[in-house]
Amino acid sequence: MPNLLDFMERATTGPILSEDDFNMKHLIPNVRKIVREFEIHYTPENPVPSDDAFADRLFEAAIEFIVRTGVYCDDTNRVIQFEREEIVQAVANLPGGATFGEGRECRFFSPRKPEDGNQPWYHVGTGIVASSEDIALAQVEGYGSIPRANSISIPALKSIKGMDVIGGSPLEIHAAVSAVQAGRKALTRSGRPGLPILNLISTATTALGTIAGTHPNFGLRPSDGWLIDFLAEMKVNFETLNRLAFIQITGGNIGSTALPILGGYAGGAPGTALVMMAYYLLGITLFQGSYHLTGPVHFRHGCSTTRDILWVFSVVGRAASRNTRYPAIALGYAAAGPATQMYFYEAAAANLCFVPSGYAGVQTVHPAKAVIDDGVSPLEAQFCVEVAHAVTGMSAERANALVNQLLEKYEKEIDKTPAGKRYQECYDPKTGKPGDDYLRLFNEMKAELAGMGIPFA
Amino acid sequence: MNKEQILENLATAIVDGDDDMALESARAALDAQLDPLDAVDQGLSKGMDIIGEQFQSGEVFLPELLMAASAFKAAMEILKPEIELQKKEIAKQGTVLIGTVKGDLHSIGKNIVGTVLETKGFDVVDIGIDNGALDIIQEAKKVQADVIALSCLMTTTMPAQKEVIETLEEMNLRDKYFVIVGGGPVTPEWANEIGADGYGESAIQAAELVKELMDNK
Repeated sequence: MPNLLDFMERATTGPILSEDDFNMKHLIPNVRKIVREFEIHYTPENPVPSDDAFADRLFEAAIEFIVRTGVYCDDTNRVIQFEREEIVQAVANLPGGATFGEGRECRFFSPRKPEDGNQPWYHVGTGIVASSEDIALAQVEGYGSIPRANSISIPALKSIKGMDVIGGSPLEIHAAVSAVQAGRKALTRSGRPGLPILNLISTATTALGTIAGTHPNFGLRPSDGWLIDFLAEMKVNFETLNRLAFIQITGGNIGSTALPILGGYAGGAPGTALVMMAYYLLGITLFQGSYHLTGPVHFRHGCSTTRDILWVFSVVGRAASRNTRYPAIALGYAAAGPATQMYFYEAAAANLCFVPSGYAGVQTVHPAKAVIDDGVSPLEAQFCVEVAHAVTGMSAERANALVNQLLEKYEKEIDKTPAGKRYQECYDPKTGKPGDDYLRLFNEMKAELAGMGIPFA
Repeated sequence: MNKEQILENLATAIVDGDDDMALESARAALDAQLDPLDAVDQGLSKGMDIIGEQFQSGEVFLPELLMAASAFKAAMEILKPEIELQKKEIAKQGTVLIGTVKGDLHSIGKNIVGTVLETKGFDVVDIGIDNGALDIIQEAKKVQADVIALSCLMTTTMPAQKEVIETLEEMNLRDKYFVIVGGGPVTPEWANEIGADGYGESAIQAAELVKELMDNK
């Protein structure tokens, strides 16, 4: 099986062409042709399809797509090419999960199958929402206090000692280190110091920041997880590959990640599903990851709870979990913010797609498109865990009916959603407890969703 | 083929993103001695308007926009020399310099906005990713930009948008350009806080914003 140095050789000797030519002559035509050849059709009335033959076809289509298209390396202007057999072999050689955490928090993250009765891995928190230095600690401590949480994401810091972080500067180094130190400290305060952090390093924009924050003095361990992302779409650069080289050499868990854009180069829902499935396979083959983190984002709405995106989540989850043993975490973005009725509808719909479709893990659906500073609290994480737990073992058919009901409640409002509240507006930062109003809304929403048929414990 | 049919074919070539048809129709326009500016305004631009509307309504996506832009360029290779020969000028909508700020390597959002602006008739100069404040400003001067559009995807690179505006102020150039900001984590509040001239949540909104700014210039 080729390793990173083999792929580097391809990145320096593969076909040379401009990025525009890669997009216009390879990426876009191949997406369109393969969607047609493999009959990948979007079914809006079924946001949670249960068609296994379709799922397997999507998986095969993704292999063919990678073989025909390759991955573009921005720094060499060359295409890294793949052979079908090496993708198939890499999938066959997967270890079938990975171990994370320390001590009593040490767990094996296993793949699941569609409609699996085994609980998913509960990954809580957000790494994209920026947090103030003081709030970040309280948020992470709150995540650690969620009993079913298996791993957490720590927030990104946008400033350090009052100064805005500048990527690639000493400010990034300090912020990256501070964020991981704060994360570990908060988990210790929550009584769960062994809980793994799976979004390293949230504050680093460069490989330098990743390497700095990973220094053993700052509390990270190989049993945590480092996210390494593809560039949209089907591209990498030396920053990406530098991170990859470093984490491979130091023996950490690599989390391949990609958030394909629906409406971007892949086009609509069928093309986005194809590209999203391809990223799984590239995570296995090119990144040789321990886990995958994935979720498409709508180009216009900036969220991932629209009907077409939910369909993409569902078909890719089914295709990947039926055909690989690569554990993947589904990450969704809600349009509405914390402490709003709509957030709960969106988060419930997303988890109803994730769990029955076979995702091994589910992450807290990020509120308010993850654009509001401090715009997230532990109660959203608690809610997502409870929904995911409740719908474990549910059939895709039943989930499909429930998602359709939920979409009726919010899909027309997707462009005029409430921003919701910031942490300090819906939580008491001193006690780390939710405010009475928010707690009341949380309980009311659970009761309403239970009435619809979500069997909360 | 009469004039109406040729203009319709030009528009169809754009909507279908068909380079060959665009070239053929542009040649037909000149053979039929159509005013080349009419071929642009009533043929190609009409097609661009249609594809822009389809993009806005979610019927088509970035690939169709890029293919339309490619067909437009193909037809212009035939029509532009004739326009220049006749000493005519295509009405200028304005020049937009677009790029991703320092430290940010994500390009797709910027590319979508740039393509939508092209379909609306703006001259777009794309300076790519990871651009320092001074580089952006020097490039804006060089291309005589009307608008500087700054993109970023990461919360940690948002401050680099502010740095561009602050550097423009320090160089006493702030009033020379409209500066608009966008990208995943950017909000209207952020745009306001850093003194940008506007913010577009989507590519469509960004294009509308640029048009509004240029109309009121």
